[in-house]
Amino acid sequence: MEGVNEDLFLQSLDGKISEEQKMKLAEAMNADPALRRNADQFVKLRTKLLRKEEDSFGPFFAERIINQIKSLKKEIDYQIFFFFKKYQLAAIGVVVALVVLNIVLSDNLSVKSVLGFEDEQVDNIVAIDLYKNLTE
Amino acid sequence: MLLQFKMAEQSDDELVENSRKGDLAAFKTLVIRHEGKVAGVVRSMLGSTPEADDVGQEVFIRFYEALGKFRGESAVGTYLTRIAINLSLNEIKRRKRRFSIFAKEEDGWHKGTTDDRKDLNEMITYEFDRLDPDFRAVATLRLIEGYSTEETATILGIPLGTVLSRLARAQKKLRSGLEKHLN
Repeated sequence: MEGVNEDLFLQSLDGKISEEQKMKLAEAMNADPALRRNADQFVKLRTKLLRKEEDSFGPFFAERIINQIKSLKKEIDYQIFFFFKKYQLAAIGVVVALVVLNIVLSDNLSVKSVLGFEDEQVDNIVAIDLYKNLTE
Repeated sequence: MLLQFKMAEQSDDELVENSRKGDLAAFKTLVIRHEGKVAGVVRSMLGSTPEADDVGQEVFIRFYEALGKFRGESAVGTYLTRIAINLSLNEIKRRKRRFSIFAKEEDGWHKGTTDDRKDLNEMITYEFDRLDPDFRAVATLRLIEGYSTEETATILGIPLGTVLSRLARAQKKLRSGLEKHLN
């Protein structure tokens, strides 16, 4: 029962061979007692190997998996937060440096000047008469 | 309850799609549906050990992480079987390393002598565990899980001829070890 014959025999146990192949296998077994003995042993072996009852990993297996996934997700969120933490700190540092620079360079300490907006003086505001400009 | 019932009616592909969208209830249904198959493969490879349970959990975690890559080219059961076999083979390698440090005997984790195992089921389990891991993987898929030779070759990523030769050698070893018990 070597090579293809062995696979053919297995297929016959699975009911996956044609009538012609069945005949061929039966003839081969009738002609060779050793092959028949091996086949008998193999059937016994396979019957024992096939599990009668459904396998399982014990109670609440699915719940354990879901809990693991949830904790895994939390872990990933935590890692992402800490991965970007150094960039967050750097960004805050840059903003603070810019604010300090504005304070040092500007003449007054108004919120606008600290944030870098130009403080428009009333005198500098020029009224534009659009209608006049158009008619001229 | 009604939701669970509805999910149990959904196909694997629908459940995978919903799991991808973050629906953990859908993924739980997949776990319940395929637990038996994965348990069968892992237990055949590793025996009923605590490591087998750990590997079983790892199989589903890996599958969850790979949901984005899963294209549905193979059935979910086949995909899980492939992960289960690979993780079991890794565990066997780890086991061997561990035992090579603590014990010199060939099959270190088997306790007792052959004479202690009077029951045929125990004898079969013993002989099956003694098979080379690659042979055991072929025998598990072909003889126990009922995959065809072609499917076994695809799952293990080996040629068809290799499956047939490993299967023949595995059977020969099993039969020679159990000769008097099978007659």
